[in-house]
Amino acid sequence: MASGGAAAAAAAVAPPPGYKPYRHLKTLTGHAAAVSCVKFSNDGTLLASASLDKTLIIWSSAALSLLHRLVGHSEGVSDLAWSSDSHYICSASDDRTLRIWSSRSPFDCLKTLRGHTDFVFCVNFNPQSSLIVSGSFDETIRIWEVKTGRCLNVIRAHSMPVTSVHFNRDGSLIVSGSHDGSCKIWDTKNGACLKTLIDDTVPAVSFAKFSPNGKFILVATLNDTLKLWNYATGKFLKIYTGHKNSVYCLTSTFSVTNGKYIVSGSEDRCICIWDLQGKNLIQKLEGHSDTVISVTCHPSENKIASAGLDSDRTVRIWVQDA
Amino acid sequence: MEAPIIDPLQGDFPEVIEEYLEHGIMKCIAFNRRGTLLAAGCTDGSCIIWDFETRGVAKELRDKECTAAITSVCWSKYGHRILVSASDKSLILWDVLSGEKIAHTTLQHTVLQACLHPGSSTPSICLACPFSSAPMIVDLNTGSTTALPVLTADVSNGATPLSRNKTSDTSVTYSPCNACFNKHGDLVYAGTSKGEILIIDHKNVRVCAIVLVSGGAVIKNVVFSRNGQYMLTNSNDRLIRIYKNLLPPKDGLKMLDELNESFNESDDVEKLKAIGSKCLELLHEFQDSITRVQWKAPCFSGDGEWVIGGAASRGEHKIYIWDRAGHLVKILEGPKEALMDLAWHPVHPIIISVSLTGLVYIWAKDYTENWSAFAPDFKELEENEEYVEREDEFDLVPETEKVKGLDVHEDDEVDVLTVERDSIFSDSDMSQEELCFLPAVPCLDIPEQQDKCVGSCSKLPDGNHSGSPLSVEAGQNGNASNHNSSPLEPMENSTADDTDGVRLKRKRKPSEKGLELQAEKVKKPVKPLKSSGRLSKTNKPVIDPDSSNGVYGDDGSD
Repeated sequence: MASGGAAAAAAAVAPPPGYKPYRHLKTLTGHAAAVSCVKFSNDGTLLASASLDKTLIIWSSAALSLLHRLVGHSEGVSDLAWSSDSHYICSASDDRTLRIWSSRSPFDCLKTLRGHTDFVFCVNFNPQSSLIVSGSFDETIRIWEVKTGRCLNVIRAHSMPVTSVHFNRDGSLIVSGSHDGSCKIWDTKNGACLKTLIDDTVPAVSFAKFSPNGKFILVATLNDTLKLWNYATGKFLKIYTGHKNSVYCLTSTFSVTNGKYIVSGSEDRCICIWDLQGKNLIQKLEGHSDTVISVTCHPSENKIASAGLDSDRTVRIWVQDA
Repeated sequence: MEAPIIDPLQGDFPEVIEEYLEHGIMKCIAFNRRGTLLAAGCTDGSCIIWDFETRGVAKELRDKECTAAITSVCWSKYGHRILVSASDKSLILWDVLSGEKIAHTTLQHTVLQACLHPGSSTPSICLACPFSSAPMIVDLNTGSTTALPVLTADVSNGATPLSRNKTSDTSVTYSPCNACFNKHGDLVYAGTSKGEILIIDHKNVRVCAIVLVSGGAVIKNVVFSRNGQYMLTNSNDRLIRIYKNLLPPKDGLKMLDELNESFNESDDVEKLKAIGSKCLELLHEFQDSITRVQWKAPCFSGDGEWVIGGAASRGEHKIYIWDRAGHLVKILEGPKEALMDLAWHPVHPIIISVSLTGLVYIWAKDYTENWSAFAPDFKELEENEEYVEREDEFDLVPETEKVKGLDVHEDDEVDVLTVERDSIFSDSDMSQEELCFLPAVPCLDIPEQQDKCVGSCSKLPDGNHSGSPLSVEAGQNGNASNHNSSPLEPMENSTADDTDGVRLKRKRKPSEKGLELQAEKVKKPVKPLKSSGRLSKTNKPVIDPDSSNGVYGDDGSD
């Protein structure tokens, strides 16, 4: 731990003047195994968490109380995604299926999407919420039609498990990251590979996501690094370090409600917040007792939710004081 | 659409049939403004709205009272309303989002083509071109009609036009008089049976200008390009003529009035002709001089650069593509089903054609794999380039190598939030909210006998689930050569949502990738499927709840 500690100390936490630090508000318990993903709905009223205990939980974002538990998967759930109107949740599970749930009473499982031949690891809706993209351990990306559940396209994307898939702002592009070290951009309409951002075998790409305006891609690699790429030029513009990420596929996100930040979980049980422009580490939130695998920012309030792995099993809420 | 990484090397027009849509018998089609939705009118009186991105049916507009074949469909400017004209002389105005009927008007004649006023998002007036009389403005709220003056006799003395459309020297019949709004909606351009284009101020019901088309043949279609700068006419003399619109986009009427002042011919008609010469400028004429084809449904491409015309004589399905300079660039040939209607996508190089059998064919560019996309630093070259190596290229430690490391302006400000306005649609009034897509409501799965599918060992790895009634594999690439598919194929999907039992068929061109995938699946041995899928991969270093989160050790290859 000595070297890890030294590295963390070296990337000294330096909040700029006037920065209001986030503080822990509440711990939500309810999962019986590691929590794998947590996401706020697009309208900010609900929070959903997925866990390896095969269930998902919908929480009220304001009251921070448990609203419902979605049961149905036969294996652990690795990822979840909200539709744009916040009415549906899609979950990706180790039982090789995806399920579309209604986020309101009676919280039915509306559809089960079958087709992947191995664990489904990541999932996302397109902005119109008419399509779902999923990445799997079977090294393919599948595009599904929400209405009928039909698989519209199977893209043989990578040579190792696909760790992350995300649509851009108008749904015309998909970015995918994989353990094979590559990050590629695909055309939604015909599944053609439009660009390869990174093609090194090492380190593995654990997470990739478009920026809110669709011009940049935030890529996490398993060498403790986060990079912000301009995919049109194929060059990265910013590097963020100071966290630990060499084993798990941690999600990171943009925080834009009060200044522009990058937020990510870390394997040293903290949540790291960097200034987007200056790349300096601003705050490290401690409290989890295991790796923080997923973080999500509320769309309008200065609120962050985070999920911890097996020794922790909680979802924690952090807010910024007014 | 994020333009920078799309390959611009190929010409911007479609080449092959990518797919076809089937749902009843469709007769006429129209895209909404952004091309995200496609409305199709059917012979059973319903109007189907397709979600063009997923190529699935988004909504059906159906009225129990109206079962006559639809003759034309038209969207309102921002996609909230659709106007449908049917062969039982009716016009129906629908609200797209709710699927409710807003207005229903019955006219005296069947309307061949009806267009909603393009200026507002909730238009109350429309232009209707009946089969056997002059075009008229219909007020959809009140049902009142105002015929537009299209005979020269009426023009000069301002009398109310006669309903019959015969000229003194022709013997017979009806020549349908076609008309359309200009982009702003203040003027109507009508093509007459005498080969004239009349520019009409429809509010005051008066003709402002006359443009003579050489040859004087009956004009069958008058169409504007999307930006309103170009217009084309399709005449009986088998020529398509392209005109440039010389009037300003928004102040057309004002300019016409000014021209009216400036000319002082004594004869009204001559004056109108003089004004007309200042409104439209003939650019080109297209024809197929060999086969002398009568053109069907000509229109412009979304950006106005290309013109297409359909040829349906002798039951063929041909689409001719010209560039605006007049050169024929391509002839697309479809299956042996006569072509009925054509439309070009507002944004993408995609053409939609409707055939006599009621199928809608989607023509798109034949996408070829761009191999340079697979390596980050590959650059495609048009031709061989002479490579001149650097001075220190073959040095053991070249100077430049050291600098290469992080060539990044790390302190530059990065903007992750602002969105650039889409230049193609910059002319729009951004305050109006546009209906771009209809919300997709997932239809409920039929509950299956086998919920946990993992245990069933009879399935092949590529996932054809013979157990579940809803096989999801319909559209999979490569399934065109269905060697292992069960009889449960595309049909099953439709049973859930199609109450009238119409099958939704999709044909996708098997891509190279898809065929490779098929071939590989045949070669791969069937993996033993145990109830815990995780354990079957023996090379997973950590068998515990965390393994699904990607603990992929050093030797993770399968």
